[in-house]
Amino acid sequence: MNIELKDLRFSYGPVTALDGVDLTLGEGACGLLGPNGAGKSTLLRILLGFLRPDRGEGRVLGYDIRREPFAIRRIVGYMPEDDCLIPGLDAVTFTAYFGELSGMPRQEAMKRAHDVLFYVGLGEARYRSLETYSAGMKQRLKMAQALVHDPKLLFLDEPTSNLDPQGRIEVLELIKDISSKKDIQVLVSSHILTDIEATCSRVVILNRGKVAAEGDLEALKEVRFRLYEIKTAGGEGSFAEALAARGCRVETTEEGLLKVYLPPEMDRRAIFAEAFRRSVQIRTFVRSRTSLEDLFARTVGVD
Amino acid sequence: MPIAEQGYTHWGGRFVERRVPWGPITRLGVRMAFKRKFFKLAFALSFMPAVVFAAGIYVSERLEDFQFMFKGRPGSTSFLEVNPLYFKSYFAGDFLLFMLVMMMVLGGAGLIADDLRSNSLQLYFARPIRKRDYLAGKLATAGAFVLLFTLAPGVLFILLKIVFAGSFKILTAYPWIPAAVVLDSLLLATFFSAYTLLISSLSKNRRYAAVLLFLGYLFSDLFFGIFYGIFHNPAFCLLSIKANLQQVAAALFRVPPAFDVPWLYSLLVLAAIVAASAAVLARKTRGVEVIK
Amino acid sequence: MTAVIRTQGLSKWYGNVLGLSDVTLEIGAGITGLLGPNGAGKSTFMKLVTGQLKPSLGRVEILDRPVWNNTALFARIGFCPEQDAFYDELTGGEFVTRLLELQGFSRAEAEERAGKALRFVELAAEKDRLLRGYSRGMRQRLKIAQTIAHDPDILILDEPLNGLDPLSKRKIIRLIRDLRDAGRTILVSSHVLPEIEALTRSIVLLHHGKILAQGDVPYIRELIDKHPHKVAVTCADPRTLAAGLLGQPSVLNVQFGPEAGTVVFETRDRDAFFGRLTRLIAEGAQDVEEITSPDDNLQAVFDYLVGT
Repeated sequence: MNIELKDLRFSYGPVTALDGVDLTLGEGACGLLGPNGAGKSTLLRILLGFLRPDRGEGRVLGYDIRREPFAIRRIVGYMPEDDCLIPGLDAVTFTAYFGELSGMPRQEAMKRAHDVLFYVGLGEARYRSLETYSAGMKQRLKMAQALVHDPKLLFLDEPTSNLDPQGRIEVLELIKDISSKKDIQVLVSSHILTDIEATCSRVVILNRGKVAAEGDLEALKEVRFRLYEIKTAGGEGSFAEALAARGCRVETTEEGLLKVYLPPEMDRRAIFAEAFRRSVQIRTFVRSRTSLEDLFARTVGVD
Repeated sequence: MPIAEQGYTHWGGRFVERRVPWGPITRLGVRMAFKRKFFKLAFALSFMPAVVFAAGIYVSERLEDFQFMFKGRPGSTSFLEVNPLYFKSYFAGDFLLFMLVMMMVLGGAGLIADDLRSNSLQLYFARPIRKRDYLAGKLATAGAFVLLFTLAPGVLFILLKIVFAGSFKILTAYPWIPAAVVLDSLLLATFFSAYTLLISSLSKNRRYAAVLLFLGYLFSDLFFGIFYGIFHNPAFCLLSIKANLQQVAAALFRVPPAFDVPWLYSLLVLAAIVAASAAVLARKTRGVEVIK
Repeated sequence: MTAVIRTQGLSKWYGNVLGLSDVTLEIGAGITGLLGPNGAGKSTFMKLVTGQLKPSLGRVEILDRPVWNNTALFARIGFCPEQDAFYDELTGGEFVTRLLELQGFSRAEAEERAGKALRFVELAAEKDRLLRGYSRGMRQRLKIAQTIAHDPDILILDEPLNGLDPLSKRKIIRLIRDLRDAGRTILVSSHVLPEIEALTRSIVLLHHGKILAQGDVPYIRELIDKHPHKVAVTCADPRTLAAGLLGQPSVLNVQFGPEAGTVVFETRDRDAFFGRLTRLIAEGAQDVEEITSPDDNLQAVFDYLVGT
């Protein structure tokens, strides 16, 4: 297991930030969600060793969070949310500098900086002063400095904020690529749930200092009964009636989507048979799952 | 493997435990200082006193050759005697001190201000470096420039005098000079770097910090001048950074000070500024506030 | 559709830097999405529509009246800018109240409206706190409060969901939908395309200062000839399914997916294709798990039209 946290508690004076967080995370990409003030930044500060938890224990990749914070910082890459680039430098100098500060020998840091800059797609622009960079390039440079020392744990804080649609896709692709390596754990904190769904296989939802939900994304979104969302062309009205006559519960949404609850004895193939009988084309057929948004709302308990 | 692996590769190298973990910070600080406008000019000008004093050491040994310069002015060559006063004149020279301040203003004002403004402290502290390493690196940037124009010339003067005089007379006659050179250089380096970082950490705007640095030095001297002019009490020299530095230099080189005020008080004033700097810097770089 | 916002040949240059070039469009009631890569001209367009900039060429009119310097119109427009522009020494309540007073409301009415708007964005508790102490999410909600406080008919929103956590986003999306249902005209600009999709099907896509596409997203998708429609099918035996469809002229391309059990077809004639597919599944009794159209969404339209 890469991260193991047990009963972590922390308060800033009278304000409780973490109220007993238990967490174990393995490989792959995990999304960290929660309303503002849920304790995400406090958790990060504890993981990076800036705060000692009031109570509780934890290990990150085998290192104790109380006693070995420096060892942890060596193997953690942090991509902050806001601007943090040092103007007046070019990308290579910038990246190599932070590689050196992570403990890499100077020449190694330089070599690695070039490699990492190519990887994030800044190869052509790496000698240019980084003030000339677009927003998307700046995000990728931030990721480069988080990767230069070959971390085992990557923490990405709102990696797609302020990016235009193309930039977003590029960064998401990068995240997916990194997460697919077997020995890097990626933790993504984001308010854009579609990004989390696109990149992460697990989620942790924090609320009021506790873990409100945790687990495999697919499993969490799984809906117990068989609900299908269907889009058709031709003969909607009669099709819905026919299905209802067969024993399904059918709802029609305002966008023309059919939500069909299949009774346990019925096979989904029957839907197609019925459609064909009525010259209806099935154009979309998807097993309904809770959206991450609904899951979030339900978990955080407010609406 | 015929086709090399593209995409992300692991580094597989070993981390190194640096003896001086903040070395890269100093190196970058020096690089960035040279990029600033007019810094190179201040840097070049700061060599002038050293050049002049070094030439003076040469001239002092070859007075006969240079007699033509001093025709008809008896006793005028006394200023060229290389003694502690000579050294103190260099180390406490108005011009040199001013140029050191200018180098701090032009190249050092942004040391912390820029990091505060660009919000890059969170990148620093996500690395395994301590707060004191970060500050040490920044202090060393300013300190390096000061030492270059104090310790290096000081040692050079001693060597030059020995070489040109052909004897160690300078050391036997005034054995406290080497220690004074080292101590005063360290004092200047410590003070100027602490002062610079203190002001630099007070603002996110490098230019504003530069102005503050400059005015702080200037006004401290001005206030001294004003109060002294009104009250004629030499104790007011404690207000002036320049005067304090000169008082302590005089004490170290064992020459009479310019003002009849105990040099210990001057040292205390300087130490107070350094302490204030330490306190403010510790506060500004608290890790908790750095990671949002 | 009666046009609420109408532009004719609208163009704007900053010195010799192009902002917008020859934009002619009409926006009616309801929600319209404004998209484009960085530098496409979105903020220029919004500033022109809200009267902050004067056109270099062309006209922009709201309700048939030119916008420039038209203070009567300003009262009916609500603008939510992307940047943070706050007076940190004011409290949240003061900020909204003062802006309302600028609109012409009396002090009493301004306070009442401000209170209502702040309650709506759930900032009522922080009303008396200085803006300096507001977090990012709170600042964003405050921006929205000042946008709606004077009950405008027309709302221009630039990245309104930026920085909000998922629950606040939900709330604001609901608000925008409610406003649409009340007959208001809303122009929303965002980079997060799934969020635009949740709000509307009607978009204006800008690129290099010009209109690249405008209208209903599925309709635009239909017109992109270069990229035939993709249909992804997940089933137990994709090859048999594919074999049954290979004979169809409507099937242009078949690709078996990286995961086992998936196959992606490409077609330009969806009618013929889906007719055949449904029949095939019904007759062959194939157990199909999922049928989707992976590139029939806004992101795909954007990529196809703008993408490199």
